[in-house]
Amino acid sequence: MTDSLIDIGLSRGLAVLIAKTLGVFALATVGLLWTFFCIWAERKVAARFQDRLGPNRAGPFGLAQTVADAIKIILKEDIMHQGVDRWVFNLAPILSVMSVLLIWVVIPFTPTLIGVDLSIGVLYLFAVGSLGSIAILMAGWSSNNKFALLGAFRAVAQLISYEVPMALAMLVPVVLAGSMSTQDIVRSQHVMYLIAAPLTVLIFIIASMAELGRAPFDILEAESELVAGYQTEYSGFKFGLFYVGEFLHAFTVGLLIAVLFLGGWRGPFAEDVPALGFVYLLLKSFVGYFAVMWIRMTLPRVRVDQILDLGWKFLVPLSLVNLIVVAFLWKILPGTDSINSAGDALVPSLVLLAANILMIAGVGMLLREEGRRERARIAARRAAQPVSEPGSVADAAPAGASD
Amino acid sequence: MFEVPSLSDLNVGATLPVTLLALGACVLLVVDLFIPRERKSITAWLTAIGIGVSLVFSLLSLSGAVEFGSGELAFSDMYRADRLTDTINVAALITALLGVMVAYDYLERTRLQRGEYYILLMFSAAGAMLMGAANDLVIVFIALELLSIPLYILSGFRRPQEASEESAMKYFLLGAFASGFLIYGIALIYGATGTTNLPEVWDAVAGVVAEDSAAKFLVMIGAGLVLAGLGFKVAAVPFHMWTPDVYQGAPTPVVAYMSVAAKIGGFAALVRVFGMGLSTFVLESGAPAAWQDTIWLVAVLTMLLGNVVAIVQSDLKRLLAYSTIAHAGYILIAVAAAGTAGLEDTAAQAVVIYLIAYAFTNAGAFAVITAMEKDDASNTSLDALRGLASRCPWLAAAMAVFMLSLTGIPLTAGFVGKWFVFKVALQADLVAAAVVGVLTSAVSAYYYLRVVWMMYFEEGEGDAATPPALAWAIGVAAVGTLVLGALPYLLSDMAREITLAFGG
Amino acid sequence: MLSEYAPIAALLVISVGMGILILFISRIFGPFRPTARKLAPYESGMEPFGPAIRRIPVKFYRVAVLFILFDIEVIFFLPWAVVFRDLGSYGLVTMGVFFFVLTVGFIYEWKVGGLEWE
Repeated sequence: MTDSLIDIGLSRGLAVLIAKTLGVFALATVGLLWTFFCIWAERKVAARFQDRLGPNRAGPFGLAQTVADAIKIILKEDIMHQGVDRWVFNLAPILSVMSVLLIWVVIPFTPTLIGVDLSIGVLYLFAVGSLGSIAILMAGWSSNNKFALLGAFRAVAQLISYEVPMALAMLVPVVLAGSMSTQDIVRSQHVMYLIAAPLTVLIFIIASMAELGRAPFDILEAESELVAGYQTEYSGFKFGLFYVGEFLHAFTVGLLIAVLFLGGWRGPFAEDVPALGFVYLLLKSFVGYFAVMWIRMTLPRVRVDQILDLGWKFLVPLSLVNLIVVAFLWKILPGTDSINSAGDALVPSLVLLAANILMIAGVGMLLREEGRRERARIAARRAAQPVSEPGSVADAAPAGASD
Repeated sequence: MFEVPSLSDLNVGATLPVTLLALGACVLLVVDLFIPRERKSITAWLTAIGIGVSLVFSLLSLSGAVEFGSGELAFSDMYRADRLTDTINVAALITALLGVMVAYDYLERTRLQRGEYYILLMFSAAGAMLMGAANDLVIVFIALELLSIPLYILSGFRRPQEASEESAMKYFLLGAFASGFLIYGIALIYGATGTTNLPEVWDAVAGVVAEDSAAKFLVMIGAGLVLAGLGFKVAAVPFHMWTPDVYQGAPTPVVAYMSVAAKIGGFAALVRVFGMGLSTFVLESGAPAAWQDTIWLVAVLTMLLGNVVAIVQSDLKRLLAYSTIAHAGYILIAVAAAGTAGLEDTAAQAVVIYLIAYAFTNAGAFAVITAMEKDDASNTSLDALRGLASRCPWLAAAMAVFMLSLTGIPLTAGFVGKWFVFKVALQADLVAAAVVGVLTSAVSAYYYLRVVWMMYFEEGEGDAATPPALAWAIGVAAVGTLVLGALPYLLSDMAREITLAFGG
Repeated sequence: MLSEYAPIAALLVISVGMGILILFISRIFGPFRPTARKLAPYESGMEPFGPAIRRIPVKFYRVAVLFILFDIEVIFFLPWAVVFRDLGSYGLVTMGVFFFVLTVGFIYEWKVGGLEWE
């Protein structure tokens, strides 16, 4: 396309700029439309988990359900109640979608198709990833509502707590690939980093779940405590935009898992047929996406103090140790300087795998010990107070019930 | 791609005193967590040992008996381990040691005994040492923060007490403001000269001024802002307002330490920045450096204000607070003298001599107040001194020594300090400043000697408690003051080889 | 160099534009019938009282400060992670010192109870 633009007499720089802008425009549109599919898929999967049918009336398999919902939500009244900070209030939902869309710019879809192959791709991911917390804070602050403000503060406390382990987990692919560019990270995954660093993937998934604010980490909209958290005062399509942002983010986490740990577009013949790479990437993303959904459907909600404990006292030290171990091993292992094929990468990957298994076993033992102590504590408390409340797990709400 | 430095380039050996201290503080921070609350004396001992080890290394390096590291520069030319560094290290470490000794019993009886006190003290001592070793404006800034931030916390260490909290808050807000000035000034100097490395600034400044470009004004404003930032630390006059309030509110042992450590750090950095980096900043060749007039004016104002306001104080802590302002003025004269070409080294020597003399004297004076102070932070007024001599003769004698030394009576360390300062001022033709210095010293005799008078010649209920550690601290300080005063060549020999010149 | 980021700037503009467009459309098609009750802040059906923005517990602030510390540390790790292979033992040792200082602070924070939520 750049060439045809040059042909009609535009300068090269301008042509590239226009082509890129159009590409980005297409990316944003596709991203937003893709959300429709994501919402449908997620509702369908959730329904199966809960032994329901899910959407099945509008269109084949209920595929048009989301479209119908979107039309409905556009026709709703957009209430802006008294005392809101207009600019901030309107900007917050837009920013929440934008923060996710911006991530898509550095996702390598095929060996050749990528928005911008930034040399500091991973740093860029950190940067735009944290825009989401600002959107939440803006929403809560501008709403002139106590629930919204408190919800926003809790949400942001959670988001920033998990940003640290997530960032540390994202550092591991950077260490292994020796580059921050996402395209380079995919290229150097002759053997998926899932094999070399399974513990990192676990940390990344847990932290991402918290970043998404979904069950089991969905205290930001704990209905029983905070009404709807920072979204309390939003109605009409502004509420819809938050919704879009959340679902798009969920799929984006799948994409990131695929790119950083599952080899992105890599697969048989992907180098020759780029379109094939795109298919591989989608398939891999759905693996990650499905894992995220699965956890959401299965686990009950945890308390706010438990969330922060898990983040600071478990994930942060674990991811620090993990990073140091991986980096150190990767440095001292022979033959990691020049990895040009799967054969070169296999042995170091397996060594790292062994180290990871050791670490996981150690952590598992620690956790078992901690669990035993916690149970003993609870038993002691029960014994001290014979009149038991209706269960000390009262904070655990059934997951995913709201859909 | 880029040149990979090797570990030996770091030249860690040259930085051993400060690295050891900082490392020790880090380790102690963790160790302290496992020491039960009622046995914090262990932390105090460990801190003393850490400071002692560092002091031994500094003294060894000072005596030249052992050569640590290779060459003067370390950490990619950021750190300069020369004679000035060694002497400043010794001064800061002695102050820190006195600070630990003064604090121990005070913390015990006011139930403040927490390990953090000693660890923060160690960190801030490391900051003061780094300021003396700075070879780069960035290090000046980082060291200033390392020196100040623990001091902010320490001022508020008596937490539920409002006066202490207020003093911490004031100190922190104004200190943060001053740090802002400093970093802004550093940015401007960097903008004008294109470097933050002090020797390179020295090289570049002459060229910048010769070209008479706008950059000259950048350097001028930058130097002014740096002077403001460091002037705040040493409590020089337009930036002195925090001093009396903070010193009065902060726990007395903290004041004993910080009134000296902040001055050591601040003046070391002033000497480094102005004497070393900006000494070529002359507006016309042959004239003294452009900042000389400003600094000696500041010095005159500081001496006048400190000494005059101190006369009317009725609280001993406030009185000594104003006295510290006055002493900042005396040292500033020496800094100003560094602006005359050829006198940089002599001026730096005078600053160091004064600082060491001042360290013993002032820390000792505040230690005496610590002994007098009751658990509820009362009994620090001048009236509380009445009749102290009859009940605690030794304590009163020590206090008298400190007061005489602060006045600058011969045979005390204070006299030696003042002697060298005024001498270098006359050499630099700063006659006015020297005259004001002598006159205000005479004025200061009034309120210092009044303290002695009250202790010895007035009847009253003056009383004090001197537990062993505190007694030792006061004893060491008093003996130090007397010995350095009686044998002045100890100080002058130690300082003689201080030079700000650098190769290249 | 900077033109690399032009598409990102474009995406910023586009997504904000799209958002405004969507909100505008919903403004056109949706009804707009405000009443006093509808415009009151939601407080579970009670009469709203007092200002909505009030003092926030200090624990949130503590989490924020912790986050800043660690986030900056991660940012320092990033360039190191890219080139640590070329830096050799120098890189490992200096980063080890950095890591040591960080760990000391973290252990301290943990033991003093800075990580407890309640």
